Amino acid sequence: MGTAVSTLVKNPKHAPPDTPEKGLTAPTAPRGARRRENFAGYLFMSPWIAGFVLLTAGPMIASLYFAFTDYNLFDTPKWVGLDNFTRMFEDPRWQKSVEVTAKYVVIGTPLKLLLALGVALLLAQSRRGQGFYRAAFYAPSLIGASVSVAFVWRALFSDGAIVDRTQSYLGWEVGGWVGNPDWILYCLVALTVWQFGAPMVIFLAGLKQVPRELYEAAEVDGAGPLRRFWSITLPMISPVLFFNVLLETIHSFQIFGSAYVVSNTFCGPADSTLVYTCYLYQKGFKEAQMGFASAMAWMLLLAVALVTAVLFWSQKKWVHYEEATR
Amino acid sequence: MHENRNVERRTVLKVAGATLATVGLGATATACGGGSGASGDGTVELRFSWWGADERAKRVNESIALFEKKFPKIKVKTDFQDYQSFWEKFQTQAAGGNPPDVFQNSLTFLRKYDKRGVVLDLKSQVDAGNLSLDNLRSGLDKLGEVDGKLVGVPVGSNVMSLVIDEKVFQAAGVTPKQGWTWDEYFDALQKIRDTQKVAGDTGYFGIMYLYDLYLRQNGKAFFTDDGLGFTEAELTEWWQDGYNRVKAGIVTDPKIVEQTKPKSALAAAHGASEFTWDNFTVRYATEGDSTYGLAPIPTTDGKQTGQWLGGLMLSASARTEHPEEAAQFIDFMVNDPEVGKVMGYDRGTLTSTPQFEAYQPTDAPNKAIAQYEEDVAAAGVLGEPTPHPAGADTVEAAFLRISGDMSQGKTKVSDAVKQFFSEAETALAG
Repeated sequence: MGTAVSTLVKNPKHAPPDTPEKGLTAPTAPRGARRRENFAGYLFMSPWIAGFVLLTAGPMIASLYFAFTDYNLFDTPKWVGLDNFTRMFEDPRWQKSVEVTAKYVVIGTPLKLLLALGVALLLAQSRRGQGFYRAAFYAPSLIGASVSVAFVWRALFSDGAIVDRTQSYLGWEVGGWVGNPDWILYCLVALTVWQFGAPMVIFLAGLKQVPRELYEAAEVDGAGPLRRFWSITLPMISPVLFFNVLLETIHSFQIFGSAYVVSNTFCGPADSTLVYTCYLYQKGFKEAQMGFASAMAWMLLLAVALVTAVLFWSQKKWVHYEEATR
Repeated sequence: MHENRNVERRTVLKVAGATLATVGLGATATACGGGSGASGDGTVELRFSWWGADERAKRVNESIALFEKKFPKIKVKTDFQDYQSFWEKFQTQAAGGNPPDVFQNSLTFLRKYDKRGVVLDLKSQVDAGNLSLDNLRSGLDKLGEVDGKLVGVPVGSNVMSLVIDEKVFQAAGVTPKQGWTWDEYFDALQKIRDTQKVAGDTGYFGIMYLYDLYLRQNGKAFFTDDGLGFTEAELTEWWQDGYNRVKAGIVTDPKIVEQTKPKSALAAAHGASEFTWDNFTVRYATEGDSTYGLAPIPTTDGKQTGQWLGGLMLSASARTEHPEEAAQFIDFMVNDPEVGKVMGYDRGTLTSTPQFEAYQPTDAPNKAIAQYEEDVAAAGVLGEPTPHPAGADTVEAAFLRISGDMSQGKTKVSDAVKQFFSEAETALAG
C-alpha cells in the first residue's frame, strides 16, 4: 500500500491541480506557509485518500497478486504463474460467460441507445406536457438498477404472467421468458433497454445545443427532415453519442445484479444468464477459487480497456468536434 | 519544484500513515466488539449463525430465551440467512478469521471446514462434562465425527424420502410399497402421466443424494473417502435415462421447474412426486393445495433402499474464545426437552431421546415424518452414512446444475458427464 501512496504523489495527474495553487500563492511565498497550506489540503483530502488506498488501490493490488496464485481464502496463496489465465481459455463455462456477456452487450447497448436517441428526438420538440414526459421516461433509470425492480421483472416475464399471456394471445407461445434458456437473456436486455432515460437526457442536452441557424439554412436549401438529421443533427451530436456509447458499453460489461436476481441467484437455467461477473462471483465466493476469480476480474478490466481504446481510436473517423472545424 | 514534491510526499505519507493508523485502530476495535468478548460482569456473548427462514427463527429465538434463563451469564446473538447465502457469508467470515462461535453445519461441509481448521474438536468438552452425547438416538452418535475428532453434534436427523401427491397417486390407482423396484416406480409414473395428465416426478436425476441411494443399492456410493464412487459410464446411463423420461413427459419439463422456483414443482401440481429429505416435507403442505405423503424409496433388489440417517448439526468455531460456553449451548440445544418441544421437527427428527420423547407431533406432516423414520428403521434398511470428502458441497451444486443443462437439451449427455467429472475433480482436490 506504501507503493500506492508514492505513485499517487509521483504521478502529476493525481496530484492536486497546480493552477489554483499558483494563483493563490505567489512563487516567492515562504516555504512554511505553502507547506501549511498543502498540509491543510491533504488533511481535507485524507478521508478520500484513506478510502482510495484502503478500499480501492489496496484490494486492486492484492487481486493482481492473487490473479497469479492458487488461493482458496484459507491457505497461503500458491504462486502458479499464468495458470489461471490459461485455465480460463480451457474452461467451457468461462467461454460461455464471455459469450453471454458479449451477446448482452452487443444486443442491449445499441438497442438502448437507439431508443434513447429516438425518444430524445421526440422530446426535443416543444409540445405540451414535455416536462412530464421527460420525467416519466427518465424515471426507470433511477429505479431500474434496484433489486426490487429485478424481482418485478422476474414476475412479469414468468410463465403465465402478463408478458407470456400477451404473447400467447398474439399466437406466439414461448412459455415465459424466465427459466427459459432461449429467452431469459432477452428479459435482461429488456430490463437494461427500459432504463434508457439516462442516455436520453444526455442526448437531449446535446440536441438542445445544435444551433438553430444550421437547420434554418438547410431548410432554405431545401433539405428534408431525414437529410437534416443525417447531415446536421447526427454530426453535431456525435460527441454526445460517443460519450453515451462509451459509457453504456463499459456499464453493460459489468452487468451483475439483474442477472443474479432474475435467474434466482443461479445465473441459469443452463448457464443462459451466466454473465461474466456472475461466473466470477461463483468462482470466488461459492467455489472459493479466489485466484481464478481475481484473474477473471483482471481479464475483464483488460477487455473493457481494449474496447475503450478501440472506441477512442474510432472516434477520429466519426466523431465531429465543432471546435476543430472552426 | 522538485523540493516541493518531496515536502508534499512527506506530508502525504504522514497524513496517510495517521489515517491508516486511525482506521486500523478502528478496525481492531470493531473486531473485538464483533467478536465474543466477555464484559466486566462476567457475561459472555456467543454468536450463533444458522440457515433457515422466519419459522425457524421464531423457534430458535424461543429456545435461546430458555437457554439464557438457565445460563444468565451467557448471551446468544443470532444471525440467519437462507442456505446459499449462509455458506457464502460463512466462508468469508471464516476466511477472515471471524466465524460465529456456534453454527449450524451439515455433512456436506463438515470435512471442508475441518480441513481448513475452522471447526473446534468438541471431544475435550465432552470429557470436561460440558457436552453430553449419551442420549443421542442410535445411528447418530458417529455422524459428526471426522478422523476421530468430534466436529459436529446432530440436532435433527433426516433420511431421503419420496414425497408424493396422495390425491394424484390415488386417482391413478398407484400404491407405493416398501421394497418396490425402480421398474415399478417408473411404470407408476407412466400410469400417472396417462391417466392424470401430469408428470409423475419433478426431476429425480439431478439429486445427488438420490443417485447416492441408487449407487448404494448396487454396492457403491456417490463418494469414496477422497473422490467419486462411480464411473463416467454409470452416470451417462443415469442421466440419459433421465433425459429420455423428460422427453417422454413422465418427468416434469425442467423449464417449468425452474420457473416455479422458489416454490416446489410438486406443490405447484406440475408433478406428482419428488425425492427429498423427509424433514423438507412440511413445506409442501403449506405451499400446495393437495395432501402430501411420504413413500418408500424404490429399490434395485426389492429390499435395499440404500437409505442412511443424515442430519443437521451444530458445530463450534476453533477460534471461539469461549469453547466451554459454546459446548454448553450446543448441549442445551441437543438435550433439553423443552427445546425439543419448541423446535419440533423443524431441523429434522429430534436427535436425543429426551427431546424425542418430549415432543409429540400433533400435525399430519410431522406425524408422518416420525412414522416414516420409524418405518424405515423397522424395515432394517438403514446403513452407514456415505463419506463426504471436502468439496462435496461444490460437487452437489455442480451435479444439480449440469444435470439441469443436460435435461434442457443444452448440453449433450456425454459432454455433461465429462464436464461434471472435471468440475468434481477440481472441487475435491481443492
